[in-house]
Amino acid sequence: MESTGARMKPLAWLGRTGLDAVRGAGALGLVAGRTVLGLPRLERRELARALVQFGYDSLPLALATAALAGVIVVLQSGLYIQRFGARAFLGWAAGYGVLWEFGPLLLGLIMSARIGARNAAELATMQVGGQIEGLRGIGLDPFAILVAPRVVAMEVSMLALSAFTFLVAILFESVAALLTLGLPLRVFYGTFADMLSPLDLLGGVVKTGAYGLAISLVSTAVGLSARGGARAVGEAAASAVVRGCAAIFVLDFLLTSLLAGWMA
Amino acid sequence: MSAVLSFFGAPAVMLARTVRASLRDGVPWRESLVQLHELGGRSVWLVMSGMAFFGAVLVTIANSQATRFVGNVAVLGPAYFELLIRELGPVMSAMLTASRAGASHAAELSTMSVNEQVEALEMSAGDPYADLVAPRVIAGVLGVPLLSALGTVAATLSAATVASVAFGVDGRAFMDPRYVDGWDLLAAGLKAGGCGLYIPLAAAVAGLNAKGGAEAVGEATTSGVVAASLGCLLIDFAVSLAFQLLRL
Repeated sequence: MESTGARMKPLAWLGRTGLDAVRGAGALGLVAGRTVLGLPRLERRELARALVQFGYDSLPLALATAALAGVIVVLQSGLYIQRFGARAFLGWAAGYGVLWEFGPLLLGLIMSARIGARNAAELATMQVGGQIEGLRGIGLDPFAILVAPRVVAMEVSMLALSAFTFLVAILFESVAALLTLGLPLRVFYGTFADMLSPLDLLGGVVKTGAYGLAISLVSTAVGLSARGGARAVGEAAASAVVRGCAAIFVLDFLLTSLLAGWMA
Repeated sequence: MSAVLSFFGAPAVMLARTVRASLRDGVPWRESLVQLHELGGRSVWLVMSGMAFFGAVLVTIANSQATRFVGNVAVLGPAYFELLIRELGPVMSAMLTASRAGASHAAELSTMSVNEQVEALEMSAGDPYADLVAPRVIAGVLGVPLLSALGTVAATLSAATVASVAFGVDGRAFMDPRYVDGWDLLAAGLKAGGCGLYIPLAAAVAGLNAKGGAEAVGEATTSGVVAASLGCLLIDFAVSLAFQLLRL
């Protein structure tokens, strides 16, 4: 009996993982579909509150992340710039790195931690406390009231924050290049402006927008499927962050190969 | 200002209390091993798959830079490998671990706090710092460097594979240790170890201060994971800056 059990274990694990994946994808699809259906009846006041909370309140965190990302990119690429003797190209290389990869990725990871966890925790608290059932009971659609405003606000906030992120990251890059490598600002912005095109900026904005959508959909789906007590709220918040990060890395790979292939 | 002070101060106070409590009560080694298994076993798939995707992305980006500049992406290989070992391997693995372990530590500890299990532990002559925080800190300090080594390996292998398969250059250039020296490994170790120390402390600060009900658990988890992620970036910045100023 025991040997059969041991042999069945991997199969059972595989089945459970497969079921979980299907269930997760289904929940995500349902949330996305019902959000789109809920868009016309979007609750305005909730949208305004979410915009302030996701966008305005995240500004210090996003700007701190951007400044750190900019300085780190310059500190690191400085080593290679000196090694290859290509100081003049730093503006282009560092700008490309921040616009295409590090700006969107770090902003996405930090926002997944901040907004993803909070979204999941808030919705899970309501779900656990029976408030979502209550909304349904009085004939209101929780997707129009709670989910759609969050998704829209997250998307708008991420796009707006990406502009500030890129701006601050590039400013800090140029100052860091001046201070650590003694590269004049004129040279930095010279290659930055000459060798980068608006399309490069578009790549970063598309990535940030995709991450924003992924974070809001994943976190609301995880939050709504929470069952239990206080423990379930914590677990929902933790798993929203993890799934958000995993989604960001997968999307990063897909979008980079797609955009690089399309622009080449 | 007070936010900045508490961001740096609270984990430092937590560390001091944890060290004092462990010196007094002894370190629970068995529990540390359990936590190390939790941290490693739960995070290893996230870290390795995330880093594998990240390595592939980096090569794609290096390729589109190289086609405009030097022609052959394999020229960038050794420099890329050093960058990965020194910088991106530790910091990205640590950020992934922060989101996995930081969130779950903060959620566990805050659930215990709001259910008054921490008070119950104190009533039965236990010490939350020695019994709850110390094992997690030890697991983090040991586990995050191991995880970042695994993450670096995953990123290197996927980069080499993508370079050979998709861009038709010799993938072995992306694991050429020509530029890697002891200082790079030291920087990587310091970053991973520092993040491993900081993540559990930030999560414990958020988790043990939770007061209230289910809502407080959610807030504690959020603030724990945000502090852990931002802390990893700050530690990375500080170590990079120190090595840059020393010109190593």
